Amino acid sequence: MKTTSEVVSAKPGPETTSEVVFTPRATALGAFLEGWRRALAAPAITLGVLAALFLMALPLGLALRGMLVEHLGPSVVAERAAWGWEAGWAAEFAAQAQGLGRTFTHEILGFGGTLSIIGGFFDAKPLPPVVAGAAAAYAVLWIFLSGGILDRFARARPVRTAAFFASCGVFFWRFLRLGVMVGAAYWALFAWLHPFLFGTLWNSWTAGMTTEREAMAVRAGLYLVFALALALVSLIADYAKVRAVVEDRRSMISALGASMRFLRRRPFRVFGLYLLSALASIVVVRVWFTAAPSAWASVPVAFLLTQVYLLFRVWAKLAWMAGEVVFFQGELAHATYTAAPLQMWPDSPAAEAIENLVSRTR
Amino acid sequence: MRRRSSWTLIAAFLLLVARPAGFAQDAAPARSPRNASYQLLATLDPESHTIHGSGRVIWRNITTVPANDLRFHLYWNAWRDANSSWMREQRLGRSSALTRRPADQSGSIEIISMVARGTDLRPKATFVAPDDGNADDRTVLSVPLDRPVLPGETIDIDIAWTSRVPVTFARTGRLGQYYFIAQWFPKLGVFQNNGEWNAHQFHAATEFFSDFGTYDVALTVPKGWTVGATGVASPVLPGAEGQDTHRFVADDVHDFAWTTSPNFVEHVERFEHPGLPPVTMRLLLQREHAKQAERHFVATRAALRYYGEWFGPYPYSHITIVDPVTPVNPDEQGGSTGGMEYPMLFTAGTRNWAPLDGSQPESVTIHEAGHQFWYGIVATNEFEHAWMDEGLNTYATARVIDEALPNKFVTVERYFGGFVPWAFTDVRWSRAIDGNRLNAYRPVATYDTQSTPTWRYWPGSASQISYNKTALWLATLERYLGWETMQRVLATHFSRGAFRHPTPEEFFAIASEVAGADLTWFFDATVRSSAAFDYAVTQVTNTPAADGFESVVVVRRLQDGVFPLTIKRTYADGTTDMTAWDGQNRWEAIVDHGPSPIVRVEVDPNRILMLDLNYTNNSWTATPQAPAAARRWSLRWMGWLQEVMLTYAFFS
Repeated sequence: MKTTSEVVSAKPGPETTSEVVFTPRATALGAFLEGWRRALAAPAITLGVLAALFLMALPLGLALRGMLVEHLGPSVVAERAAWGWEAGWAAEFAAQAQGLGRTFTHEILGFGGTLSIIGGFFDAKPLPPVVAGAAAAYAVLWIFLSGGILDRFARARPVRTAAFFASCGVFFWRFLRLGVMVGAAYWALFAWLHPFLFGTLWNSWTAGMTTEREAMAVRAGLYLVFALALALVSLIADYAKVRAVVEDRRSMISALGASMRFLRRRPFRVFGLYLLSALASIVVVRVWFTAAPSAWASVPVAFLLTQVYLLFRVWAKLAWMAGEVVFFQGELAHATYTAAPLQMWPDSPAAEAIENLVSRTR
Repeated sequence: MRRRSSWTLIAAFLLLVARPAGFAQDAAPARSPRNASYQLLATLDPESHTIHGSGRVIWRNITTVPANDLRFHLYWNAWRDANSSWMREQRLGRSSALTRRPADQSGSIEIISMVARGTDLRPKATFVAPDDGNADDRTVLSVPLDRPVLPGETIDIDIAWTSRVPVTFARTGRLGQYYFIAQWFPKLGVFQNNGEWNAHQFHAATEFFSDFGTYDVALTVPKGWTVGATGVASPVLPGAEGQDTHRFVADDVHDFAWTTSPNFVEHVERFEHPGLPPVTMRLLLQREHAKQAERHFVATRAALRYYGEWFGPYPYSHITIVDPVTPVNPDEQGGSTGGMEYPMLFTAGTRNWAPLDGSQPESVTIHEAGHQFWYGIVATNEFEHAWMDEGLNTYATARVIDEALPNKFVTVERYFGGFVPWAFTDVRWSRAIDGNRLNAYRPVATYDTQSTPTWRYWPGSASQISYNKTALWLATLERYLGWETMQRVLATHFSRGAFRHPTPEEFFAIASEVAGADLTWFFDATVRSSAAFDYAVTQVTNTPAADGFESVVVVRRLQDGVFPLTIKRTYADGTTDMTAWDGQNRWEAIVDHGPSPIVRVEVDPNRILMLDLNYTNNSWTATPQAPAAARRWSLRWMGWLQEVMLTYAFFS
């Protein structure tokens, strides 16, 4: 965290009507590093999220397992399928499968699976209903956990389980309300902006185009625009959550307003931090590109590699959130800007925030 | 108009002067009846996307009955408006995007004049719709004659027409400055011995059918543009006012297609292989695919070699490979012109990023080059029996790929709008399954009886029946007869059918003759039926008995298709037993008595019957591995699902 005071803001307050106050200025890199430090210092959260992810996938995984067992039956084909990817059988299975079973294709394999997920997201391809349901359920769980996670990162010290879930409970309904508003914004992006970019503009710009390279460049540009729009909404939502937690806001409309004001006043550093966090996630995906297990990898190895990759994805997301908390606190946190008090003696959240600030500026 | 007329005269003069240098086929005896020949002049106007054509059609009646009229295909009228039969069928069972194209992207063909024996034929000419009676369809023109064309008699028809080049429809059209021009001139149908013309309307699910002849065509395009076409080119003649005239001549072909663009990069190589005649291969490549030139040549060589060795040599001296412009936005720009065959010329098709271990452009190139044999030389009626070309060729393509490029191809999917490929290296191309396209056939197995005329197939599944089902039953026949017999069947069909229009019955007769057995039952079960095939092991019991074990195996026929199979049992002591089953009854029980229990049962263990829709249920083992397999893949799938959830929840 950079602690120089090259930026000076005059903040007329009740006690210092004409006093010039020097406030430290947070940096994107500093917040990014501190965010990672706080995320790494909270392994229980990381493992908990990963476990939740696994447990939510488990019922569907068991259901699919049942389908596979039923289709394979006592066949000789199963012997080959137990060893490696049996494309003929997989296609045969998909042809008779319904619902969940239809998602069992070679596109689940290795990095190709990652590419298909991300590509499908940016091309607004609808998820199969069962998978969409699972993703929605996880999103709700994530909304529930977000309050506790942000609170934990704001405090930068371990909290007890009860306190963690107390925060989750406190902020769940607020974040759910926030989620409705933010969800509407995302819906607008996918319902209006995406068709405009990849329908109207794309069609207009490529109507007479005859080289793929040019078209790819155009499409990449449109992806960039769409990604920026998504990033903007997610940035606003992120800092609304951060402000809601750190400032104990009840009104999510005011949190959104506060978030936008916060972003407007320091757009480059906020976006810089966002880019750094995105870069960290890209690095994780890039490593997965190399390390993703082949279809022939043993079950334990494939499972372990996949879970380690997902662990780092979770870690990157948590560090992303923590970095934003750190950045916000670095900019605005003081005695009147802090997290909600925990019901724990003798810590005073206000004192804690001040202590954190002091420790950072030492 | 005056200018065009003067050029027409010049070009006509050139046509009369001499045939192109090096046109070695000139001296060769005619391989085909050459009863439908065309001398054409055409000028492309890229500004208005119009072709002005004129020329002479020379038709000889090779039947035993007089012809009272002529019938011409005017294919491009299928895209004049939304009411043609092609458009209606396109809406019915295929993508409807092409039927909503704006008017300025449409195509058409209009006869300006038609004169024979000094008589203007236009006044009596009418559009007919012999297939569906669609009064709005203008793809077949019936032209009554004042006097019949008697058997053996020849008639010359002088004709002029204008064609409007559409944005790509059905592998014909324009995209930017790239033009691919096929089915572009008034083309005669095929007159038959029953006194009727075989001239179907243009249908969405079928291709074409016409007689052999000599084509002598002069094409005038903007100066500097490259032209590729059916036939052998003579030197380019520079014209006035920024135009060049390219002339192509071909004997013993039944169609003529051409392409032009200022952006082609031209490569020429030669195919030479012991025992086969040399062929000059001309590749017209898009600039952005420059690095893929050799891949096209490797594939074309493989097709010329293996088709030549197995079935019969490619008889022409030249072949042109066209790499079409890839529609970067297929919804708006229409389909590609890629993956289509014409005599002595075909369009391949590739993408900018084409993984080296992926199947494109090799598979499409081999397939389209292969059409030179099953469509170009053995000219089957694709309106009625498309399987005789597409099916045979799909089967042969898979075999060539397997032979020439073994263990190379992996499954490639494309993401991010189709621009980013990803090779699933663990999912390797399989000739039996992927080459013959079992997976595409499976869901539509019972949609149409294959002996139905192709133009009457359900448009949405026509290709699966024509291409895939045929390839699968040919693969089945190969496994049933053995490759050597199968190869002789196809070679005999090729040699007897070359430069003719062989019928399905001829093919069936040849198969039985060469195999030395009546295969009617096989063609009844496959071609003359829409039955699906599925055999299964449904019960295995081992009961201790005085002499060891009494083992009972029950196998069932779950669908209507019937095929003789073998049932293999493996016993605990390692011995095996095979039983032949005619596959007729709905179920069969086999009772064995032996010292060891049965530990493994396989119906059709060598997978002869490639049409079996569900092969997994064809076997049984005493030690099922399904739980282990299911654990492996459900865990892998869970990892994928976790990633989906993580990705989509990122923004929540």
